[in-house]
Amino acid sequence: MKKFTFKGGIHPKENKELSSGSEIQSVKPASGTYTVPVTMGGAPNTPLVKEGDSVARGQKISDGDKFMNCPVHSPVSGKIKKITKCTVTGNLTVPCIVIQEDGEGRTDFMPPLDPLKCSKEEALERIRSAGIVGMGGASFPAHVKLNPPQDKKIDYVLVNAAECEPYLTCDERLMKETPEKLIDGLAAVLSVSKAYGIIALEDNKEYLKPVLEDKIQKAGFSKYMEVRLVKTKYPQGSEKFIVSSCLGTEIPSAKLPADAGCIICNAGTLCAISEAFREGKPLIERVLTISGGAVEKPCNLKVPVGTLISDLRGNAFNLKEGKAPVKIISGGPMMGFAMADDSFPVAKGTSGVTFLTKEETSLKEESACIGCGKCINACPMSLNPVLMKREIQADSLEKSRKFGLMDCIECGSCAFVCPASIPLVQYFRIGKSLLREKMAAEKGGK
Amino acid sequence: MDGIYISSSPHFSLSNTTQKIMLCVIISLLPECAAGIYFFGVKSLFLILSSVISCVFFEAVFQKLTGQKIIVSNLSAVVTGLLLALVCPPTLPLWTVIIGGAVAVIVAKGIFGGLGSNVFNPALTGRAFLVISFPSLMGASWLLPNFTRGTDAVSSATFDGITSATILSKIKHGTFELTDGIFQKLFTGERAGCIGETSVLLILVSLVFLLVLRIIDFRAPLAMCLSVFILTFASSITGGMNFTAASQSAVVSLMTGGLLFGAVFMVTDYATAPVTKAGRLLFGAGCGIITFLIRTFGGYPEGVMFSILIMNAVSPFLNNLTARKYGYGKKGSRRAPSPEEEKRFTSAVQEKTED
Repeated sequence: MKKFTFKGGIHPKENKELSSGSEIQSVKPASGTYTVPVTMGGAPNTPLVKEGDSVARGQKISDGDKFMNCPVHSPVSGKIKKITKCTVTGNLTVPCIVIQEDGEGRTDFMPPLDPLKCSKEEALERIRSAGIVGMGGASFPAHVKLNPPQDKKIDYVLVNAAECEPYLTCDERLMKETPEKLIDGLAAVLSVSKAYGIIALEDNKEYLKPVLEDKIQKAGFSKYMEVRLVKTKYPQGSEKFIVSSCLGTEIPSAKLPADAGCIICNAGTLCAISEAFREGKPLIERVLTISGGAVEKPCNLKVPVGTLISDLRGNAFNLKEGKAPVKIISGGPMMGFAMADDSFPVAKGTSGVTFLTKEETSLKEESACIGCGKCINACPMSLNPVLMKREIQADSLEKSRKFGLMDCIECGSCAFVCPASIPLVQYFRIGKSLLREKMAAEKGGK
Repeated sequence: MDGIYISSSPHFSLSNTTQKIMLCVIISLLPECAAGIYFFGVKSLFLILSSVISCVFFEAVFQKLTGQKIIVSNLSAVVTGLLLALVCPPTLPLWTVIIGGAVAVIVAKGIFGGLGSNVFNPALTGRAFLVISFPSLMGASWLLPNFTRGTDAVSSATFDGITSATILSKIKHGTFELTDGIFQKLFTGERAGCIGETSVLLILVSLVFLLVLRIIDFRAPLAMCLSVFILTFASSITGGMNFTAASQSAVVSLMTGGLLFGAVFMVTDYATAPVTKAGRLLFGAGCGIITFLIRTFGGYPEGVMFSILIMNAVSPFLNNLTARKYGYGKKGSRRAPSPEEEKRFTSAVQEKTED
């Protein structure tokens, strides 16, 4: 059988067995307090509520009038405590709406809608008003993604079911427990985009292939979609390598998947789309993995968006005694954000929180580059990390760009293999922002 | 919560370190050291030890004097010391190799910025200094391996044991003749030469070890050996040899001198070779071509050292030979659905619109 894979990449320890056996549990924060960021993907929203307002579960609480805006809904029936700035994933301080649950259980969902029978416009409007964004981490508004410019014909919808980040198992559990939702969501997206669906599954989750295929057959969609096993390799789950593995083509540099005739959706996103149509439920809950060597019983939790992780600790999960975490990561260890503490809210794009111990993570000091070139072999984009870094240090950003600076996807494969522990990704982030500034200044000058 | 670190991703890494890589190179060099001691006597051991100790000592002193952190624990100076000793003749006085070590780690490495920043291969720079400064000590007379003493007709007694010309200098002076068992001798290492370079077999063992552990890349060594082989073969053919003789001389060119040792241990030196794949290929080919030219037309019988040092100077430039990046060129375009997918795809559209 043809192996679906890509060039470069790395094989980090997966550590998925820590949580892959744990069933998704629905939990709520003990405090009943929710900190919901006003904007979670897309253009900045404005709050539609004010302090003291009562809101129902599923009621829209922030939105904007631009195409790129994506509304946010209340995850709970309650009262607006305040609208204030809070720290969220990425250590950014952004406006958040703090809601206190009132226990009255009022819900305000939309009426169900059949995605296969409604018009494309109706379907897109439903996806937008349900506040669906990409749930893999990038939080790109789904209604924008599914509505590419007219001249870009979409041939394929690729389902990113690779979940290549170590530790994270939320998508795996979702596919195991509710495969029919994934298939239903994919059908909805296919009927909007009139394309062929390919579910890209890493072969470490091969056991899910028959499960999904069975559901596809039962739903009568065998002609429209298929499951493809791709090689387990990091960063298989980046959209660029989903495309190159499944189709053998590449997304042109600095372009979108639509330029390669593809739309790529995360497995969790499709489940949320299915719920938005069938139950009229906006994106107010998500599944995330709590894992890492410092966690007592790693688990997969379904929590309302806006739940503070610290409100779950001691309640839905516990940290091990005597094994203090040295890093708290929103996301997985390869691309996640290191947070100062765990009092940050679950957002629509939070796929997990990993508490890493000293033994698991790397705290080594940077030493001199010996020019081994391992980073070049590891780079899935075929860039030249070592040369990019040298040029950034030499302040020749243009040369660094020639070696691939602006094409870097910050996957961290280079830093992972570096024997000198050079924080290459950090160099590239700095280099990119310097180069962008420089280019903006040059543009302004002309 | 206390003691929480914040840093840029990734938060995961291999447990690989510079020290581990250097340790692997040291292990890979041990068979050559053992062979050198076995063939040329315990004097080789003293040379190796003096070289290693002087390299580590001078590196530490240099780092101390220049106010740097002392980082000899990364073992790179040990590697330099081993490499330097192994490319010296077994008759070399100890003080000479100590000077060579100082030149290697201070002049070639420390002054250029230390580990990873050096332009020229430190061990070879040290050797080049010795070859030019003490030509009579660095290759005028060569010791034959212990157990072949007296059996080789060309050997003549000197104060320091039994010495012989190397095969390459015999070739240079036109006195080389293919004898029975010559390939076997070259293979096992029963010949005159530098301490670590004589045994083809052991160098191949090291090569496999380093390749399997992915310490070195095959490109540069392969390109160097291939180019020497092809050029020697071609020049032998044009020189009027028949096919068999030309192939034999090409094989001898591969197995003699420091070619294999240089290809496996010197051309693959991280800091002084290019980092890109295409760059490494060209770097190796360049080393091979210059080696051939020096062997054929130059004043020295062996050209491996100078060829590598010359190519070292070019290697930053060779880094401009990079691979095609993702999303560029032909591949970065859309793919039309296969007939099968297209069929299913149109039927999906039709059926859905019929709904």
